[in-house]
Amino acid sequence: MLDAARVQKELVECNKDCHISGISVDLHRDGSSLYHLTGTISGPLDTPYEGGAFEIDIVLSESYPFQPPKMQFKTKVWHPNISSQNGAICLDILKDQWSPALTLKTALLSLQALLSAPAPNDPQDAVVAKQCLNDHTTFVATARYWTEAFAMRTTVGTEEKVKKLMEMGFPENLVRSALENVKGDENMALEKLCSG
Amino acid sequence: MVKNLVYFFPHLRSMQNSREGESPAAELALENKPITEYMVGPAPLEGTNFDEDWACYRDDDVIRQQDAIQAVEAEKIPLVGDKEHILALAEEFQSGSPVIQSKIKLLSEKYSNLRRTRGDGNCFFRGFMFSYLEHILDSQDGSEVDRIQSSIVQCKKALQDLGYAEFTFEDFFMLFIEQLQCVFNGHGDSYGHDELLKRSQDPSVSNYVVMFLRFVTTGEIRRRSDFYEPFILGISDSSVDQFCKTAVEPMGAESDQVQIIALSDALGVPIRVVYLDGSTTSLEVNHHDFIPTLQDEKTQSNEGSESKINQSPEPFVTLLYRPGHYDILYAK
Repeated sequence: MLDAARVQKELVECNKDCHISGISVDLHRDGSSLYHLTGTISGPLDTPYEGGAFEIDIVLSESYPFQPPKMQFKTKVWHPNISSQNGAICLDILKDQWSPALTLKTALLSLQALLSAPAPNDPQDAVVAKQCLNDHTTFVATARYWTEAFAMRTTVGTEEKVKKLMEMGFPENLVRSALENVKGDENMALEKLCSG
Repeated sequence: MVKNLVYFFPHLRSMQNSREGESPAAELALENKPITEYMVGPAPLEGTNFDEDWACYRDDDVIRQQDAIQAVEAEKIPLVGDKEHILALAEEFQSGSPVIQSKIKLLSEKYSNLRRTRGDGNCFFRGFMFSYLEHILDSQDGSEVDRIQSSIVQCKKALQDLGYAEFTFEDFFMLFIEQLQCVFNGHGDSYGHDELLKRSQDPSVSNYVVMFLRFVTTGEIRRRSDFYEPFILGISDSSVDQFCKTAVEPMGAESDQVQIIALSDALGVPIRVVYLDGSTTSLEVNHHDFIPTLQDEKTQSNEGSESKINQSPEPFVTLLYRPGHYDILYAK
């Protein structure tokens, strides 16, 4: 059985200082399963990923924390250690270097560190790795473009919508859940909020 | 018999960083069975060939495949086995080196029995766990139980001071103390050797205790990193932090002198390791006693048995080391 108590403690612990760490974990799509979570990491400063919010799909197995969490980028990202096709990640702690002494938060922090320090000699995505090694300027430009195209659009948009709706006097939690329910459509969210 | 030789000399196969037991056994398993038997990944997509399928394999598929291999291994050797006669070892090496044959004979003069542990990289910790708990069960030594419990409190404090989140280790600590209380008269006559063996074979108890011991060990190494740093640099060319992260904290990372010294020191439990290998430099069976440094001596150097042997009790945890693997030994 999954150690539910531990996972719950991890969620609380991780989200406690998410404003500082730029890292948070929530249940997947507001679901009720502790096995399926969504992590978010903010792109590190002074990298092509700066300003992006990257979503990571997290699946826990029965034997977590003995088995590593299965993590995969949902947000498309251009990085030698992350598949540009499906978001699969090449990181030792998600494989044989995992330990129950680690947590979801430390794993996500490691992903954040991975964004800061690409390791093109131990690649997940050979095409990206080759570019990173041979044509670094193009690599940085592509990574930046992907960040702006995939990691900023939705999030920044959402935050703006949240702000706008809050200025109309609705409480933040209601605004967020309304937006979530209508997949980010501002007008439909407003309608929902007005109707109660 | 080839199998046993490989098992006995896993270092011949891979000198560095292999997980003990796992490599030879897993490879053998793969040699003997068609690879498809271990295929637990996604079903092949229609119209694709094997090479393309391979691209679909990801970490979790690899992990599942490893689990499948381990499950096959699990049927062969339980996490902790039954008590066997010491000469059962000789049967393994009937066609092996005569040096080992004669060493086993020597061993049988001092030791009567052997208890095997699974070669999954956790065998040192697992052997220690069983041997220690069995000693408490047999001796009902209350002062030892009190002593180790106060050591455990210190270990916990060390981890807290090092910044480990409490929820990452508290369950493992609680579970060990529970096992300790069970063997120490906790449930009267109902708790005996059979129950201890049963729990030691149950991953949901056994792996938690192994992880508890790994936490204790990593805490001790980190707390006294000045002391351990030169040893660690000498054997692995990595920092104390890297060493703990790769060679102590992950389940299945195998143990060597550094981990043994640290565990023995942290819990204050002396450990005897008896060495059995094919070397011909001496035809004796050597052992080394890892004697814990007392808390107030910890600023001084700790060089094992020689200097302290006079004032130290005989270790009650005795492990048999064959290159790459630890089993439990019983003295006559």
